[in-house]
Amino acid sequence: MATTVPPPASAEPLVERLEQMWQSRPGILGWVMTTDHKRIGLLYFWTTLVLFGAGGAEALIMRTQLIQPNNNVVGPATYDELFTMHGITMIFFFIIPMTTGAFGNYLLPLMIGARDMAFPRMNALSYWVFLGSAIFIYTSLFAGVAPNAGWFDYVPLAGPKYDPGHAIDFYCLGIIFNGISSSLASANFIVTIFKLRAPGMSINRMPLFCYAQVAASFGLLFALPSLTVATTFLFLDRTIGTHFYDAAKGGSTLLWQHLFWFFGHPEVYILIVPAFGIATEIIPAFTQRRVVAFPFVAIAELLVVFIGFGVWAHHMFATGMPTVTVVFFAAATAVVVIPSTIQVFAWTMTMFTGRPRFRTPLLFICGFIFMFVAGGLTGIMFLAVPFDQQVTDTYFVIAHFHYIIFGAAVFPIFGGMYYWFPKVTGKLYFELPGQISFWTIFLGTNLLFFPMHIVGLEGMTRRVYTYPGGLGWGPENLAETIGAYLTALGIVVLFANLVVSFFKGLPAGPDPWHGATLEWTISSPPPEYNYAVIPKVSSAYANWDYPDREEDRRKLASAVMVLDQGHEQPVSSPVDGWWTEIIEMPHDSPWPIALAFSMFLVFGALLFHQWIVAGFLTIAVAYSLLGWHGTEPQEAE
Amino acid sequence: MSDYVAGGVPEGVVPRTTDARNTQEVVALVSRRRQPSVAVWGMAMLIASEGTLLSGMIASYYYLRFTTPTWPPRGDPRPEVVIPLILVAVLATTSIPMQLAAFAARTGRLMATRLLLVWALVFQLGYFVYEVHDYARQVHHDPISTDAYSSIYFTLLGADHGHVLIGILLTTWLLWKLRRGLTMYRLNAVQVIAFYWHIVNLLTLVIVGVLLSATF
Repeated sequence: MATTVPPPASAEPLVERLEQMWQSRPGILGWVMTTDHKRIGLLYFWTTLVLFGAGGAEALIMRTQLIQPNNNVVGPATYDELFTMHGITMIFFFIIPMTTGAFGNYLLPLMIGARDMAFPRMNALSYWVFLGSAIFIYTSLFAGVAPNAGWFDYVPLAGPKYDPGHAIDFYCLGIIFNGISSSLASANFIVTIFKLRAPGMSINRMPLFCYAQVAASFGLLFALPSLTVATTFLFLDRTIGTHFYDAAKGGSTLLWQHLFWFFGHPEVYILIVPAFGIATEIIPAFTQRRVVAFPFVAIAELLVVFIGFGVWAHHMFATGMPTVTVVFFAAATAVVVIPSTIQVFAWTMTMFTGRPRFRTPLLFICGFIFMFVAGGLTGIMFLAVPFDQQVTDTYFVIAHFHYIIFGAAVFPIFGGMYYWFPKVTGKLYFELPGQISFWTIFLGTNLLFFPMHIVGLEGMTRRVYTYPGGLGWGPENLAETIGAYLTALGIVVLFANLVVSFFKGLPAGPDPWHGATLEWTISSPPPEYNYAVIPKVSSAYANWDYPDREEDRRKLASAVMVLDQGHEQPVSSPVDGWWTEIIEMPHDSPWPIALAFSMFLVFGALLFHQWIVAGFLTIAVAYSLLGWHGTEPQEAE
Repeated sequence: MSDYVAGGVPEGVVPRTTDARNTQEVVALVSRRRQPSVAVWGMAMLIASEGTLLSGMIASYYYLRFTTPTWPPRGDPRPEVVIPLILVAVLATTSIPMQLAAFAARTGRLMATRLLLVWALVFQLGYFVYEVHDYARQVHHDPISTDAYSSIYFTLLGADHGHVLIGILLTTWLLWKLRRGLTMYRLNAVQVIAFYWHIVNLLTLVIVGVLLSATF
């Protein structure tokens, strides 16, 4: 049962009218055609969970293979596919769509007091394209031709000479297809944040979660094209015989690395910054205190991504670049420490000076801070170029980036799942199994990733399917594998808890945590129109501004400021957040899924080099676009 | 509503799309709009993304150029200078009718909007047809698979032509859409497609400049 905030008696007819107006179609059609950001967020959530399961299974198979020397669970070819698919899945198909697609979609409009995203149909399109790209790339695994040159896909290994067949074509097209989805989503997020904020929510009153989302979206918008260029060149090299990466014909293999890492390094921050945003929402709720140094944290979130664009070549210290270049990139990388540290100090000081309640979400955030600091400290070590050259391609690197990616991105995702579970489902989760899941995952990940530092320093190289006995790496690898299974167990406990809580949990009420942001002012789960009265905001902690919320209720009782002439949404000025226009939003539409499906067919034809078929299929793409733009919002009713 | 807008402006000042059901109402509404529409923001995002994509290709062009001793390598023809410059200048002039069309739409002059769009479309199409023909001729003489120079030359030029083609499709669609009068949606479309063309024209100038830089 949903927990609703009952409207005043005088406003009941009005609320009923809004409910009818914003209602989705019943049944499966309602999900297929939906443009509701909450439904799209949930679709993203379930899809990414399935893919997380796939990526996790790949990791467990790899760890099982490495449990002892000279093991033979999988052969070298399969192992190559496993680590490639594991990397692609976790980065492109789990963390990014989970933090932006699921958390961002569901929460962002709620936090800024909007009724939907700026472009609701484009939002649906980004989900369906994402789903299409996931199916596309996983088809390769079932067809036995999964990408096998690592998620970074270095040439010449990935070029036509050393990797013939369709494996790398799947990679190139799948990544471009996925990039379309992420670009659409990030454009939508940026416009939503700048144009749809509630009145009074000037830039400096925006929740820190939104800063994180806007930083990640700008990062994606400007980083992804570089990956698209890189993969397009590679696809052309492989299919029509161009020579971008062919040194014999004037091309350059390092060009791939520059293009890839110009995307790849900002990508790391794009992965963790939305997680920072989750942390900066959970901490104030569980300490009942405003975040220390709010403007510094906001600027630091943006700076991390901005500086992230100037450090890409630190992934290439072992390629023999000129010393000046190497020193420049080492220095630039050192600068990233500053905004990262500002945030760590702000989080810890908020906890020290508040009254922390160590419920499961906050435990995950504490775990995150611990892991992020540990991973950050090994990160700084790579600035010492001779050290970096020593440990390049060893397990030390794996240890470092898993502390960052699992510790700093996935821990807050888990924390966020617990934190917003009552809002999304209207139920409370069970606390004890929640805490058990945290400690299991925390111990598991440290047992999994910490020994990798040691074997890495001892020279164990990554991307190799087995290792000989007698080198002393056996005990550490055994511990890592036990850690991997312990982590998996913790994750199973986590999801089992959430599933049981969904059916058996107590009603949560609209605001079980006394959270700081606007989403806690409305029913759990939120109504389809989000806000009956568009709320007015006078600080970044809108739910704690009691006079404002009282005023909302008074307005609703006297039916003031209820936009009910259609799917109406106010548009505000980008800096001050004052209303400038009231627009009408599109309704449910079949065209986003039709467009995504026709794009899927085009990519399928390109995979088999059927250029003419692909050309004909673009007619289907054009038809979907025409259908999409055939209905204007004003004509929809 | 007064406390929801800057400076306590009285209620009714915020334009409401649902109020605009015919050309006069659209014009009246737009005259009260003080900020670029959400559509313009959306187009700005597309342009940011596409601009970065083409910048990545331009950066690759110079990366390859500076890692190659002679550019263009021996055996590759030097790019022609005069005709591409004349053509790109002609294309650039279409920004004028596109912008005038946006102004005309804003003031509700529907026929003027259509005529200006047709003017722009004729030149855009002329440019595109000649360029595609010329592209085919060049590829025939110096295939894209010759070396890294021809690879980046034809890819960059082809990517630019692709953007011109999309612009032509957008202008055509717009004309078709405007056959049944002006709505808020179509007015926004005229404005953002004009915006798109300004940037495509600018990018074409830059890309032609980059490709011609091989002759110096």
